[in-house]
Amino acid sequence: MIDSSLSSSGAKVVVATCGDENHPPENITDGNTKTFWMSTGMFPQEFIIRFAEPTKISAVTVDSCNVKHLKIEKNTSQNASQFEPVTEKEFEHTEGHLQSNAISLNGSSATHLRFIITSGYDHFVSVHRVSVQN
Amino acid sequence: MISPCTQNSIISFCLCLSFCVYVRVSVGDAAVGKSALSHIFHSDGSLFQKNYSMTSGVELLMKCVNIPETNDSVELYIIDSAGKQTLVEACEKMWGDLSLLCLVFDLTSEQSFANCSHWMERVRAHCQGRHVPGVLVGNKSDLSARREVQASIAQDWAQSQGLEYHETSAKEMENCDAPLLALARTFHALYQERRETIQNLSPG
Ligand SMILES: Nc1nc2c(ncn2[C@@H]2O[C@H](COP(=O)(O)OP(=O)(O)OP(=O)(O)O)[C@@H](O)[C@H]2O)c(=O)[nH]1
Ligand SMILES: [Mg+2]
Repeated sequence: MIDSSLSSSGAKVVVATCGDENHPPENITDGNTKTFWMSTGMFPQEFIIRFAEPTKISAVTVDSCNVKHLKIEKNTSQNASQFEPVTEKEFEHTEGHLQSNAISLNGSSATHLRFIITSGYDHFVSVHRVSVQN
Repeated sequence: MISPCTQNSIISFCLCLSFCVYVRVSVGDAAVGKSALSHIFHSDGSLFQKNYSMTSGVELLMKCVNIPETNDSVELYIIDSAGKQTLVEACEKMWGDLSLLCLVFDLTSEQSFANCSHWMERVRAHCQGRHVPGVLVGNKSDLSARREVQASIAQDWAQSQGLEYHETSAKEMENCDAPLLALARTFHALYQERRETIQNLSPG
């Protein structure tokens, strides 16, 4: 099943690097691609999503703009620390519409997912939605 | 690098460089004043180093610039890069994802100006098509009797390269803020422009 709004299931963004207060990280989990979180310069950029409880995740879908390389890490602890790498992906550049990438996580169980954007196609990147397939 | 989050702060890497391949061994002549300028900007004008000390790697300086008529600021991470040819290659690795360019030459050295085009090529190759706004700075304007580069010529070349031209004197602290303020403004404008573009995107 696709959970269109992560926040309605109790998940939230607990850490995010620099951002514009008009485009807060909560916009990543609100299920709406019209709202977004935007970086304000430099790489890497990262955000961490915390789930209300340990969650089995088969895949995540990331709707974004100008992201070039993304790494995903996870943990199963209560704290947002000590992450282990899960996967990484090179996104294709899109013009005029959002990038939408499904990334398989092979049913790993996690309480936190950490998204690290290591490079972009522009100085600035935005993330509009992260949704999780259980 | 992850920097501490200040609200509405736009962050950029600004590269400060120039070219000094000289056959002469005198390093004094090779020095166009990049470090002097960076330090003055960084310290709001209280620091001018009279004695030349060659930059052998890259030096990182941070400066927060408030953008007039907004609540926004731009954090400039100024990478002061070595100008000496033999050191440049090592430094280039540390340029990273640079966002802004501050290209400095010495107004009393025709050669340092001529070499600016090599620097531009180098930066372009490094940035692989990413648009990097920049300024060209003619430094040491206080030494007017020894001037070798006319403002109009530098201005024309800057324009042809899409750079904004400024003249400064790090020694007299004249106009030193202008180039980096211009860069901060440009980067802020670029951010706003991109934000608008993203706002109008349709879902993928
Ligand atoms: N008269 C005058 N001297 C300057 C000015 N700016 C710098 N200098 C002097 O020029 C010399 C070199 O300045 P630096 O800032 O170290 O030069 P640089 O470009 O960083 O040199 P590298 O690090 O070797 O690439 C120093 O002795 C400075 O005092 C200026 O505006 N006017
Ligand atoms: Mg120097």
